[in-house]
Amino acid sequence: MAEAMPTRMRLPLIDGDKSLAQVTRDVCAPLDRRAGFPWWAAFLLSFSALGVGLVAIGYQMVTGVGVWGENNSVGWAFDITNFVFWIGIGHAGTLISAILFLLRQRWRTSVNRAAEAMTLFAVMCAGIFPIIHVGRPWVAYWLLPYPNFRGSLWINFRSPLAWDAFAISTYFVISATFWYVGLIPDLATIRDRLAPGLRQRIVSFFSLGWDGSGRTWHRYELVYLLLAGLGTPLVLSVHTIVSWDFATSVLPGWHATIFPPYFVAGAIFSGMAMVLTLMIISRAVLDLRDYITSRHIDVMCKLVIATSGMVGLAYITEFFTAAYSGNTYEQFAFLNRAFGPFAWAYWTMVSCNVLIPQVLWFRAVRRRVSAVLVVALLVNVGMWFERFVIIVTSLHRGFLPASWTGYAPTIVEVATLVGSFGLFFTAFLLFCRFIPVIAMAEVKGAMAADRHERSGVSA
Amino acid sequence: MPSRYWKSLNERDRPHDREDHATRLDAEPDGASRRDFLRLAGFSVAGVVASSCSRAPIRHAIPYVAQPDGVVPGRARWYATTCGGCAAGCGLRVKERDGRPIKVEGCPDHPLSAGGVCAVGQAALLSVYDRARFRAPQLRGVASTWAVVDADMRSRLDTIRRGGGGVRVLTSTVHSPSARGAIGRFLDTLPDAAHVEYDEISASAILDAHLVTHGVRALPRHLFERADVIVGVDADFLGPWISPVEFTAGYARRRRQASGPLAWHAQVESRVSLTGGKADLRISMAPDEADALVFDVADIIENGRAGSGAAGMLAERLLAARGRSLVVAGSGDLAMQIRCNRINQALGNYGSTLDLGRPSQQRRGDDRAVARLLQDVRDQRIAALLVSRANPVFDLPGGDVLTTVPLLVSFAERPDETSAAAHVVCPDHSAFEAWGDSEAVAGVASLTQPTVRPLGHTRAFIESLSMWAGAPAPAYELVRRTWRETIFPRQTAVPDFDRFWDATLEAGHAAVSAATTAGAFVPATPNSNRPPAVPDAVHLVLYHKPAMPAGEHSYNPLLHELPDPVTKIVWDNYASIGPGLAAARQITTGDVVRIDTGGQSLELPALVQPGQHDRVVAVALGYGGAMTERFKTIGHHWFQSRPTVGENGRIGANAVRFVRVDDGRRGTTASGVTLTRTGRTHALACTQDHHTLTVPARLAPAGGERWPIVQDIAASDLASSEPGPVESPANLWPEDHPATGHRWGMVIDLHACTGCSACVVGCQIENNVPIAGKDEVRRNREMHWLRLDRYFSEDADGQHMASQPMLCQHCAHAPCETVCPTLATLHSEEGLNQQVYNRCVGTRYCMNNCPYKTRRFNWFEYSRDPGTEHLILNPDVAVRSRGVMEKCTFCVQRIQDAKIEARRLGVPVKDGDVQTACQQSCPAQAITFGDMNDPTSRVAVAARDRRGYTVLEALNVRPSVTYLKVVRQSSVAVAESEHDG
Repeated sequence: MAEAMPTRMRLPLIDGDKSLAQVTRDVCAPLDRRAGFPWWAAFLLSFSALGVGLVAIGYQMVTGVGVWGENNSVGWAFDITNFVFWIGIGHAGTLISAILFLLRQRWRTSVNRAAEAMTLFAVMCAGIFPIIHVGRPWVAYWLLPYPNFRGSLWINFRSPLAWDAFAISTYFVISATFWYVGLIPDLATIRDRLAPGLRQRIVSFFSLGWDGSGRTWHRYELVYLLLAGLGTPLVLSVHTIVSWDFATSVLPGWHATIFPPYFVAGAIFSGMAMVLTLMIISRAVLDLRDYITSRHIDVMCKLVIATSGMVGLAYITEFFTAAYSGNTYEQFAFLNRAFGPFAWAYWTMVSCNVLIPQVLWFRAVRRRVSAVLVVALLVNVGMWFERFVIIVTSLHRGFLPASWTGYAPTIVEVATLVGSFGLFFTAFLLFCRFIPVIAMAEVKGAMAADRHERSGVSA
Repeated sequence: MPSRYWKSLNERDRPHDREDHATRLDAEPDGASRRDFLRLAGFSVAGVVASSCSRAPIRHAIPYVAQPDGVVPGRARWYATTCGGCAAGCGLRVKERDGRPIKVEGCPDHPLSAGGVCAVGQAALLSVYDRARFRAPQLRGVASTWAVVDADMRSRLDTIRRGGGGVRVLTSTVHSPSARGAIGRFLDTLPDAAHVEYDEISASAILDAHLVTHGVRALPRHLFERADVIVGVDADFLGPWISPVEFTAGYARRRRQASGPLAWHAQVESRVSLTGGKADLRISMAPDEADALVFDVADIIENGRAGSGAAGMLAERLLAARGRSLVVAGSGDLAMQIRCNRINQALGNYGSTLDLGRPSQQRRGDDRAVARLLQDVRDQRIAALLVSRANPVFDLPGGDVLTTVPLLVSFAERPDETSAAAHVVCPDHSAFEAWGDSEAVAGVASLTQPTVRPLGHTRAFIESLSMWAGAPAPAYELVRRTWRETIFPRQTAVPDFDRFWDATLEAGHAAVSAATTAGAFVPATPNSNRPPAVPDAVHLVLYHKPAMPAGEHSYNPLLHELPDPVTKIVWDNYASIGPGLAAARQITTGDVVRIDTGGQSLELPALVQPGQHDRVVAVALGYGGAMTERFKTIGHHWFQSRPTVGENGRIGANAVRFVRVDDGRRGTTASGVTLTRTGRTHALACTQDHHTLTVPARLAPAGGERWPIVQDIAASDLASSEPGPVESPANLWPEDHPATGHRWGMVIDLHACTGCSACVVGCQIENNVPIAGKDEVRRNREMHWLRLDRYFSEDADGQHMASQPMLCQHCAHAPCETVCPTLATLHSEEGLNQQVYNRCVGTRYCMNNCPYKTRRFNWFEYSRDPGTEHLILNPDVAVRSRGVMEKCTFCVQRIQDAKIEARRLGVPVKDGDVQTACQQSCPAQAITFGDMNDPTSRVAVAARDRRGYTVLEALNVRPSVTYLKVVRQSSVAVAESEHDG
């Protein structure tokens, strides 16, 4: 930090010239007061959606995967689309908390807590699908290697699905740990504010005896740094491995070496869009406009437009590769994607992911929070369709024309997708009620550095 | 004194019974100890289990393959018999296991079927286990006993004998000497009695035409293997026409042969048939144009007139192959059939490709006799009508009138329209429960023997008739007597009847001298006028599907689920129309259209069929029967599932109302049809081209769609082409599956394959493949492990159809194996790609990654429909549960069987010891299976054929299935080569 160049160009990270105590009061305010009507309305809606999803999953468990619209050619559709979509959403959290931390991007402090929580919930949503999509979910644990008495029968370490199981469980564990470790100082703050009681005892337990001493801070910073270091490769590895689910196959449209960077860029893209969506809503609802400022939104918009460009480049590259390869099956797969029966999905994807985000080049648009929200929502739609396009359009018209089919989701599939959103928002709303949405300790640290910089210049 | 042992309480409590089983075990001291008790308990349980597992062996049956010393539970035995699926009389071997027949195969040395068996014949095995069968005789709709029924029948027949009135026995073709004898003896006891035969797929006009041209009402045997030039006119001879297996075998024999002149086949047809798809030249013509064409060909050939156009070309071809050609027509029009006979006569085909000296008995039906019967019934001259192996109320136009007969007796196995109206139902045995015989072609006598005890209180048709004729005898005695008196004297090879009987029973058939003599050509037959063409009239063509040839099979879900070889549609009949007509009337597939012939109308879903003539609407017969109402509950039910039956509660609709009767003969074409859209739609379930997805022209140019999946080779290039596929040298991976012992492989000859789909049913029964139901097929979840991919192509010779049997290719570098996370699909040491059902969790990644899409997923619990039909399940193959992937195993249970047997005998597995179910059933013998590591095996030799290729070779997955290219003979090229030669 010592050699950081003090500059006037850098605007304050938070507005309102807050004192440290005021930060604590502002951030903890939603925790202290009773939930209002908007929260209850949102919670009931999300919880109902979750209930719909649970009914759908329960019905599917009892009846069979046949209640989905998949068929003998299209073996995966909504299930794996949702899985990859949610895993992608989860990427922004780790990116913000780990990579931006290592890159000393201090603006991250206002959003990292929520983004990490979002990551956890998204990974939870994602984790449902690999389990429920299998034909016999009650033996889905066979995907994990564990000591057994079946003649020591191991899993197939060559299968990308086995790598998936490792990648996702690792990612979830590291993300959860990282999030929790970052939460400890704030939990201690809450503990100190609470009157004795059950809640105080619970929070006290989870704050692990934090005493705020220099030594504690030192250990904490070290652990946090190490976890950030551990988390960073995961941002790249998880979606790389998810992309291998497709890239290692022989199917035209799946079998592509560009998939790992393409998927990672797409994941960050969709994750950023989701963070934007959630931040824009919660800063309004929770009255945190001073902490999540329009400058934060502006920075995230820039990340969105950068990753949108990467995704667009990948789309173009895929077509170039298909054309250049001279492989008729490959060429057909991409022509079919763009002009076949699912062309509407393809062009939805291109519009939402490449064309519409271009408006973010304009500062005026980035400053209009409502416009940014619309763009972010559309990006989420587009990224869901990207996975749908990759999975369904490649499968429905494969090598043998005799096996070409169509695909249409059933009510059960749609209900399961709705249910995953229900789970996500239910979890996020609970998070808003019980855990500080903004990492207070980090914001305070950033404020201190801020003041120091500015005072240094004026002195 | 030795103690007395018992197996059950009944036995213990019974006083000493000398004849009881030898249960005395010597040298046991008196007084039962605990050990004794346990020993006895174990013995009695085992005894009860053993005796209840298998029904007692049939007393008079002699096994065909090997005679076992005793019944070995779990060991299959094979019996030779004759197929009862249709009147073709193919030879069968029935696999019997623990007292129940579980599989039907072709009898390899049968003179007609030559080892093949069609889909219908195999599926007919399900008739034994059909839960809807009559279990007891019925008197006025109420279950009764045979004693009551017999008493009732005797008194009614006595009344008729006294009071007069006609008695008719109405059957489909009967070529069983015993049944004919029994019918004759029965009719002899009555004053005004006659036997009337008719066929649902009528050939009456052919027989009548021979009466005109040759003086005998007979159906000549068609010998397709002898024909160098075949011209078919709307005769689906590779489909359900007369004798599909026999004709396919003969036809394919010429296509498989490596040397000699290639046979050339032209098909003139209005709709698109299996046979037309296979033709070298396919001429699409409306029925009236075809009539005129045959007239012109006859004119050219008989009168030496110079011809032009199609007629001239066909005549030129036929004349170049005098005595080695064959013209066949499927028409029900007498004039047309007479012209065909005259052409064949002029070409000298009688005696070479047409055998009238030893005629076929496969069609004996006389439509005019049926018309007279209907008239007699209307005139109330008939007092009693006995109907066996026919359902005239359903499949005869105007057959409703038969319900007015004072005494209607049905011998139906299961409820149908006729038995519903019958006063007495005397349920017949299924063909697998009864003694019987047949002489399908003069001189080919064969026996039918029971392979299971009758499951219900049914009685053989001939037993019932003998009972009422006053000379009751068991069917076995009746058949034996007939053979002793009429068949045995017609041969001289075996002097002793018992030996002759035993040998015939073991082989299933015997060659005897033919009883008939050839009729002489009557040259003075006048040639009728050239039939006029009606340029704008739309014709209705009624046909029979190869997969569901007749209404009598409509109880059979195996056949309903079998995709039609041409349209690939299951569980429906439909109005098939050509693309031009569809465009003109703005009809698309699935639109419900009303077909109106003026007098009759019917609503059916439309199907747009490329290649069909634009003045033709084609509708399959045999649908919409009462027997199909049972399918209301078939399939898996969940809240978005749709029923398999249509709005009428049945499968399809009955189009028999359109059958035209002219001069007593049933005709299957009608002209002047109007076609109107009703505005409603009906979802057709198709295993290919699901929904309305079509390949946009810019994505796949015509013909490009099938390249290079189905490959063909010009006949002229056969000699000069490169031999066989060379193993691709490039290989990224080490050869870690050396397969040093056996390496199983398959070769499929696409040129021989007609698409008849017998293999599909063979595979389904052998491997316990579930029936998914229409809704699941509509969702593209058909379960067939082996499917026939159908591709159309078009060139100067018309539209061709290629059928490609597609099954698990057992790739050496199988893409499915690497991606399965649980190691549920693996490679065996013998090159098999194995699926381990109980390790499979159902991720479906293997299915996605299979380039051939041959894997099948159990989306639901398919096989839990309780019923006697389950008795057909093969105990050697696991029944798969929900959520598990399955696929072709190369019949691994048969491979294991052959290996165990070879080990038992201490010999290596020989080439040909293992036959897969699909290979065995194939009438065209297009499939070869065996050990690729043995360079002399038939499969290895066939794989090196210059026509060999593997599908998607560029992927380097190294499939174990090699396909042989289709040979294309362009009409022009052959004409040139003939000039050269």
